[in-house]
Amino acid sequence: MLVHSRAARLAHWTLFLLLVVPVFALPLLMVVGASFADRWDGALPSAFTAAHYADLGRGQSLDALVTSLSTALVAGLAALTVGGWAALAARGSGRRLRHLLDGLFMLPLAVPSVVVGLALLVAFSKPPLLLNGTTTIVLLAHTVLVTSFAYQSVRAAIGRLDPALEQSAAGLGAPPAQVLRRVTLPLLLPSLTAAFGLCFALSMGELSATMMLYPPDWLPLPVRIFAATDRGALFTGAALAVALIASTLVVLAATARLRTRASYR
Amino acid sequence: MTAVGASPALTPAPPAAPAPDAGAATRSGLRFQDVTVAYHGTTVLDGFTLEVAPGEVVALLGPSGSGKTTALRTAAGFTTPLRGRVHIGGRDVTDLPPYRRGIGMVVQQYALFPHLRVEQNVAFGLKAHRTPRAEIPGRVARALEMTGMGGYARRYPRELSGGQQQRVAIARALAIRPDVLLLDEPLSALDAQLRSGMLAELARLHRELPHVSILYVTHDQLEALTLADRIAVMKDARLVDCDTPRRLYRRPGDTFTAAFVGQANLLPVAVEWHDGSVSLAGAALRGAPAAGLAPGDEAVLCIRPHLVRLGAVGGRNALAGTVADIQWRGAGHRLLVDLDTGPRLTADLGELRVPPLPGERVTLCFDPEDAVVLPAAGEDGADG
Amino acid sequence: MASVLSEAPVRAPAPAVVRPGRRPRSVPGWVWALPPLAGLGLVFLYPLVLVGWQSVSPDTGGHSLAAWSDVLGSTAFHRALRTTVWVAAGSTVGCLLLGFYLAWVIAFVPFPGARLAGRFIDLFVALPSFLITLSLAFIYGSAGIANGAWTGLTGSHHTLFAFLTTPWGVLLAEITYFTPFVMRPLLAAFSQVDTAQIETAASLGARPGRIVRQVILPEVLPALAAGGSLVLVMSLNQFGIVLFTGAKDVTTLTLLVYSRAVLESDYPAACVIAVVNVVLSVALHSLYRLCLPRAGKEGGNRAGA
Repeated sequence: MLVHSRAARLAHWTLFLLLVVPVFALPLLMVVGASFADRWDGALPSAFTAAHYADLGRGQSLDALVTSLSTALVAGLAALTVGGWAALAARGSGRRLRHLLDGLFMLPLAVPSVVVGLALLVAFSKPPLLLNGTTTIVLLAHTVLVTSFAYQSVRAAIGRLDPALEQSAAGLGAPPAQVLRRVTLPLLLPSLTAAFGLCFALSMGELSATMMLYPPDWLPLPVRIFAATDRGALFTGAALAVALIASTLVVLAATARLRTRASYR
Repeated sequence: MTAVGASPALTPAPPAAPAPDAGAATRSGLRFQDVTVAYHGTTVLDGFTLEVAPGEVVALLGPSGSGKTTALRTAAGFTTPLRGRVHIGGRDVTDLPPYRRGIGMVVQQYALFPHLRVEQNVAFGLKAHRTPRAEIPGRVARALEMTGMGGYARRYPRELSGGQQQRVAIARALAIRPDVLLLDEPLSALDAQLRSGMLAELARLHRELPHVSILYVTHDQLEALTLADRIAVMKDARLVDCDTPRRLYRRPGDTFTAAFVGQANLLPVAVEWHDGSVSLAGAALRGAPAAGLAPGDEAVLCIRPHLVRLGAVGGRNALAGTVADIQWRGAGHRLLVDLDTGPRLTADLGELRVPPLPGERVTLCFDPEDAVVLPAAGEDGADG
Repeated sequence: MASVLSEAPVRAPAPAVVRPGRRPRSVPGWVWALPPLAGLGLVFLYPLVLVGWQSVSPDTGGHSLAAWSDVLGSTAFHRALRTTVWVAAGSTVGCLLLGFYLAWVIAFVPFPGARLAGRFIDLFVALPSFLITLSLAFIYGSAGIANGAWTGLTGSHHTLFAFLTTPWGVLLAEITYFTPFVMRPLLAAFSQVDTAQIETAASLGARPGRIVRQVILPEVLPALAAGGSLVLVMSLNQFGIVLFTGAKDVTTLTLLVYSRAVLESDYPAACVIAVVNVVLSVALHSLYRLCLPRAGKEGGNRAGA
């Protein structure tokens, strides 16, 4: 409607494709392509193999996948609990406390993840809380990093809630706890699921803080991918990356599905 | 409120001597010629032909979804017709983008640019048209004077009321001196009182702009009746009737127009004879005859509620019935009467000294001159 | 936590206002904020404060600003700071230009797959950044498509595309990765732009270029500012892309923090750099949060003044 001539529209679409394909689509395709590569001599891989994927099903790679999935699950749920709670508390409190909560819970977004890792390392490397070298410290780092996103999403969803619904529930005689349980939370459910999906995805891909903290027995996928590519095993790295993308997508798709179901209630 | 003397600056220069042999195309302000528009296989405007002469106001009246806004958007160039041509000022503009059509447009929600001051809003079109810089302030001032907004030039839109914003929107459209002004429900966002004020204001503006063709889209019959030189009634993507307001009101061509322009009682009758004699369940009635009806045809007798009287004068066109409801409406009483012959009749009467009570028997009558016999048209017999 | 408790008295006059549906006897709202705040304080705020403390506490004991003067005087730090700022500024500008154009096409020159493109962008945001560097290696790396094609065409084994291990490679990866972050708020803002305004502008004789400059841009400026400052912060904090680039001469502040702490175990130095990085990022992030509320409603009103 803004560009009226068909020729101009075609020109814009062509330019759009010329930008999107090499910048966004091609890189992702190449990772998938490389994950099947056996040898890569010329412009394109010259021999293909599924061996990199077969390796995924066993040993270190499988460990890394399980590690990442469990880390993301724990961190996602913890972040949803803390962030969601804080977001609900922010609504029930005065303006100044709300601004404080907003500021503090968004702060992890501003602080570099590497610094979050460093901070946990500095804080928990000596008694009374000696967590350095444990799984817990990785989980803590992931939770801190994704809590902001959970807080942000739930806070935005609360802002979109129609206050009339809760007010009518209260007007019908429901005490606050019941309003929360029977009205507010069910209404927020789609956003909560979405927030969890986002937290899960971000935790799956978290590298910076993890690089600072990971103990030898808890190597998530991103660390494993870095290790592989660093020693030159690019194709293995690509296969691991595809596994990472695929598992992230599956979870995102699942939460999106849950979300649509929930929003039809 | 307005300096009338400023108006010549806004009106397009009148042709010094109209060429006597100029064809219809050159005289025409805006002309739709068999325009058909379809979206995704649905026809939203079907074979639409209409001409708005210079200086004429034509109201496109119809329910929502009748195609009236599509017609306006086609004139503006936001919709590409599947078939047919659009001419503005004698020029075929069908394939021109909106910015080369030389139209002024005012929409329901004003669409003022929120980040620009009133004067910058009005100057927008002038700058887009590359008007010499030196001319712009004068033309902006004149356009604002004309709409009575001269004192608000430095304000931002959000600092104005709805009515003021609409005046600015009109000033902005007029500043570029368009041949054709397209108004898309310009008053529907205003409250009732403002609306009648703006209606008078628009009528005055129109008198000051004798060469501008105005296409006025509305679903409000009062706006159409007040403002338009002609009303084009639309229904289901088609133009069903187009005539002066008075004729449409007095002699509607079909039951849809009758019900949509003003209110109407539509009584199902059978045609008795060509002179307008009909029978309503056996009772003989008489109205003004309509062409194309033969004795024995099913027809509809259309009577305006305010032309129905209480009592029987000379025994002609008398309708007996029982009062179903009576409403006091300030200026008078409205009677809803279940006729003995079946249908319910609405009568808007003056204030009654002794209003009848529901359940009471009454006799109503009307002048044959005031009723029209129309061809029956299936599903459209809704009471206006 | 001290700041939280000091907030409490502020709420004192508030209980007079009873919210609908909230019984006057129930716990005041701020109490509910305490548990999550306590959690955040323990695992984030307190460790962050310790980072600052550690930067003035050498391993040898006592307190000194030695680490600060050492780090701030070192060429490695200066180079890292320069690279960081250069890459951040460059990728912000790149993302704004590319993101504005792509989002504009999706919103205003829509094509059949436009919605799909929007979904694809959402997906991109959820992917880890280092994937981009990894995939670029397959395209422009020494054994990637581009150089492979060059060798195939000319027979020369000279690597034509060697920019991946330079700051330009980081810049390209960051533009790729961060552009969706600009597009998302922009697409939202574009969808808010009143179609009637665009159409009215066109009817007034404005061509698409003028409409973009004078109608659309002022309306979406807050969203653009928000997206831009977000990218600026994120690229200051970016680590994965630089780590995966693996070039010795491309060092950013975050990479320096990592190498000082993990590879050299020089915690005070790492903490100094971390503090510098945090101050930069938090300052810019505050700027971003200032842009945000204006992205909502009354944005851009001053543009015409």
